[in-house]
This record gives sequence, C-alpha cells and structure tokens, in this order.
Amino acid sequence: MPDLSCQTGPRAPTFISLAEFRELPEQRLNELSDEQLIDYLRAAREAGRHAAMKPAVAVLVFGYHDTLRNRARLKLPDHDVEDVVAETIASAVASAFGGSSIGEFRSWAHTILSRRIADYHDARSRSLNTTALPSEHQGEDEVWGQEPGVPFEGDAQHARDCVRLAYEELENDRHQRVIDLYVFGPHSAAQTAELVGDGMSEANVHQISSRYQKRVNELLDEGSDTSGER
Amino acid sequence: MTDVERLLSEYKEAYRTGDDTDPRPYLARASGVDRELLAALIDAYLERAPRRDFDAEAFQASPAAAVAEGVQRSLAGANGMWPALLPALRTQARLRRAEVVAQLAARLGAQSQQDKVAGYYHQMEQGLLPESGVSDTVLEALGKIVGWTADALRKAGQMPAPGPPRTDAGAVFARTHLTAAPPDAEASAAEAPAGEEWDEVDRLFRGGRPSA
Repeated sequence: MPDLSCQTGPRAPTFISLAEFRELPEQRLNELSDEQLIDYLRAAREAGRHAAMKPAVAVLVFGYHDTLRNRARLKLPDHDVEDVVAETIASAVASAFGGSSIGEFRSWAHTILSRRIADYHDARSRSLNTTALPSEHQGEDEVWGQEPGVPFEGDAQHARDCVRLAYEELENDRHQRVIDLYVFGPHSAAQTAELVGDGMSEANVHQISSRYQKRVNELLDEGSDTSGER
Repeated sequence: MTDVERLLSEYKEAYRTGDDTDPRPYLARASGVDRELLAALIDAYLERAPRRDFDAEAFQASPAAAVAEGVQRSLAGANGMWPALLPALRTQARLRRAEVVAQLAARLGAQSQQDKVAGYYHQMEQGLLPESGVSDTVLEALGKIVGWTADALRKAGQMPAPGPPRTDAGAVFARTHLTAAPPDAEASAAEAPAGEEWDEVDRLFRGGRPSA
C-alpha cells in the first residue's frame, strides 16, 4: 500500500500500461485513486466486462460509506440516514462516471451529501409548518410518528460556516497545515509538529489548535447572539 | 486540553481504528455551544477523511454491500440509476416490492397480468429493461406510488455515457475501442420483434415513450 501518512494527500498513482482493459485483483484496485477507479469502471464497461466492475464499485462504495453515513448521522434522524447515504453514493458515482462531477470524487460526494441533507430539512420544515407534531396529539392513539431528533440544519450549517471562516482567517499557511493535520487529520501533536517542521513544536501545535477552536467558539457565540435574526 | 478537544481526539482515534464509529454518543457528552463546535469539527474531520482501505469481510457485513450492488447494476445496466434508485424509493415509501407491483398493475389497469408487471418491474430494478422502452404511462404511475415525478424517474433512467478519458499522468486505463451500447439499449422498439406478439403490458414497458 502507498504511504498515506498525510490524510489529505492523494494516493500514489499506479503505473499500469494497459493497451486494452485488463481485470485487476481487489488488492490492486484498493491501491488506485478514486479517479483511477472511475476510469477503470468506464474501461470495464466499454470492454463489456461487467463482472469486473463489481469489485471496483465495492472498493469505492465501502471506502466512503462510513464517512458519509457518520456525517449524515450528525444531521438526520436515524431512520433516514441509510436512504440518504445510498442515494448520495449512487448519484456521486453516476455523475463521476458520466464526467459531470466537479473536482475530486471525495469532495464531490460530500458536496452531494450536504445538498441532500439541506433538501431533506427544507422538505421537512415545509411539512412541519403544516403538520402538527405527534406530541401535540398526546392521548390520540392513531396519531404517531417521530419528533425531530436532530438539530435544525440551519444550526449545523452555521457551525460549519464558523469552522470554515476561522480556518480562512488563519493567515499563516503553516498554521492552516497544523489545523489540517492535527484538528482535521489523524495525527498527534508530536507527529504534526514533525510533519510541519521548521521549528514547529508540540506546544505550538496545541497553542494553534486552541486558538483556532477558541475563534470558532467566538464565531458560534456571535451567531447565537443574533440567532433571533437568523 | 478542553473537553471538545478531548472528545474530538477520542472520536478520531475510535474512527481511525474502528469499522464504523457513530459520532452521536460523543456529542451526547457535550452540551450547548461545545456540542455545536464538536459536531462541526467532527463533520469537517469526516469530510476530509481519506477513502477507507477495502476490507472484504467488513464490506459484506455493512450496508455498503447493498449500496454497491445497486450502483454496480446501474453502471453495468441498461437503465441508468434505476437499480440503485428504485429499491431506495420503495424503501422510503415503506413499500415491499410486491406492494409496488400490485399498485402499479392496478394503476395500469393490468391487475389480471400482475405477474407480467412484476417481471418487468423486476427487470427495471435489475438494470435489464432499457429506459427508452418504458412508456411515460408506466413512469407516471410508478412516480405516484413512490413519490417521484415521471420526469425525474426518466432522467434517472438515462445512463450517462462514460465521461471523456483523463489525459493527465494519473490516467492509466487506456480505452482503445467502444463496444456496442449496453445490453439491449438499442433493442427497445416501438414494435414487437418479429415472431413475438405484444400485448398492452408489453407495449407499456417496451414500446417506447408515448403514453398509451
């Protein structure tokens, strides 16, 4: 496997010269980048090798299913998570396959998920405007259903905006890299300091991270102060 | 280290080493603005997370297997995203396939040929029935059952042609030839093939777009 020490870095390209389509074993497919997997799927289809598509689709879908599902769990009721995620993945793969996706497959899939979640809450808020909640019918056995179990999407969107804004406010590229590696990435403070290098210490990493999260908190508070206006 | 930092760190560690890590129990340990902050940070972390390495055993036990099956049938089939979309739509509508078929047959006035309708609907879900042969009448009826418009179903059934090959250094799968269209994609016709007698149900599912 290629070294994936940097979470946001691309997978190493595999140098396979194929004059014609050749089926690859699962292990090799796992080493391909998302875009290479999409190319592989197109080539398999065009060669009429439909069975060869199955493991490639499995690698791609398995690779993102959990991240998409857990993002959806943050914002959707449990009983709708799987459906929204399934539809998101199908749309993302189809549009990437057709060449109509924008940018990298990973970010495209997450963009689609964010849109689907927003659509879900839009539809729900329209419905809630005209439909009483089950708790308003307590005692009436025939009226049942589920109360909203997750925060309103508008709040989650605001929090996401705060995270992005605080990141963009960091003027120093190395500080952004610390946030990428330590806050959003899988690395410890010591590993982050080593990866950023150039005098960055573990204590610096904690300091930068704390300042960043404090700034996000301030932005969230500002939003809360004006929440009545939102 | 603040509570939020600690919880984020715990979540990342659990996610990195586990098969699937639900973030909600972690959120439940925070409150107020801290909870909002933690949710946003976990969201940002997941959005940037790399593709998981494939694990055949975990895949088979995961809901991802069913999703992948639908996607694979869609990409290999003759009717776009229907194999991925139609089962999801009937799940959302809380309907079993037999119930969809019964309602579809009733709306098409083909109750006496429910088995035949079932066969065609099965082919739609399996990617075996070309979208171009399915009439608007069928899609309008199906849309009313599963809560989609006929137009949206039509568009979903139109398989995007494979996009242009990449020209950058990462493109490794040279495509040297185009094969024929997907199975039966060109076979949809407004008329029955020679030697085959079509009835109204055949025409509705294979005869093309014009409404009956």
